[in-house]
Amino acid sequence: MAYRYTLELLAGIAIVAFCAMFLYTSATMSGAEFAGSDNVGSGLIAELSGRPADNFQPLIAQWEPPSGEIESCLFALQAAFGGILIGGVFGFWFGQARGRRAE
Amino acid sequence: MHIMEGFLPWQWCLIWWIIALPCLMLGIYQLKKVLDADREALPLLGVTGGFIFILSSLKLPSVTGSCSHPTGTGLSTISFGPWITAVVCAIVLLFQSLFLAHGGLSVLGANIVSMGIVGPLVGYGVYRLLRDTSVNMYVTVFLVTALADMFTYVTTSLELALAYPAETGGFVTSFILFMGIFAVTQVPLAIVEGIVLALVFKYIVALKPDILIRLKVFSEEKINAARSEC
Repeated sequence: MAYRYTLELLAGIAIVAFCAMFLYTSATMSGAEFAGSDNVGSGLIAELSGRPADNFQPLIAQWEPPSGEIESCLFALQAAFGGILIGGVFGFWFGQARGRRAE
Repeated sequence: MHIMEGFLPWQWCLIWWIIALPCLMLGIYQLKKVLDADREALPLLGVTGGFIFILSSLKLPSVTGSCSHPTGTGLSTISFGPWITAVVCAIVLLFQSLFLAHGGLSVLGANIVSMGIVGPLVGYGVYRLLRDTSVNMYVTVFLVTALADMFTYVTTSLELALAYPAETGGFVTSFILFMGIFAVTQVPLAIVEGIVLALVFKYIVALKPDILIRLKVFSEEKINAARSEC
């Protein structure tokens, strides 16, 4: 019973430590732009291949979100879809468990 | 871990697609089998898939001064195995390719191999190794999740190093350089993801232990013992 909330405590500590790490990194690391590692990786590809990054053209034509705002909207939609799935199922299971306890 | 559209030569795109396709077909076959046998597995699939949708959309800052995202594949790997996880990942990666210009259709095979196949396969190996031992169930979930996440990025580094060996030092130098960008960034994210998904697994054990027992995710004794502590 003493260890009942160990995982909750660990998750809380991990999240706080993660936030502290970000604040420390952004305050102390010069040139930290926090760009996506995908973009940094693409930069290294350009460097290794000796071709400028702009030179890499899609092999299959691709639609791109017209602005950063639209892109974040679509990312939020993706997360929302996952959230609805998780919330819906946990709610359903919670109702089932309560029903079982009531019987 | 997304390799961007156009950043992988077509020959490599083809090779990764050839590896990914049979795995996806096996995943679809297994998914049908699991759902035909037990329709109650569907909500669990929804939850585990939901975490892949959410976590792969979160770009988080890391110690290297760049951002990356967790993969969320650990729960699905433990509950349904690597092949069904590959199918769920393929859906997420297809969405991101079509609507977010993250990844792309030609490199989708490579991205599926890293996030949907190799990462979950490594996680599944760890799970099978620890499942029937006395190792705590939540420690197993943590390790599976964190390692599936880490090896996704190791695989991306490998895929890129194979396609772009450095002029001096070749594949090895290139692999180390890509690991520096992808894998090092991922270490703190993988640890936090592992702890958070272990916590989520605790709530699944508390609310729906019967489906975990029927799917033989862990032994009945282990699940009942964990449940009595919830």
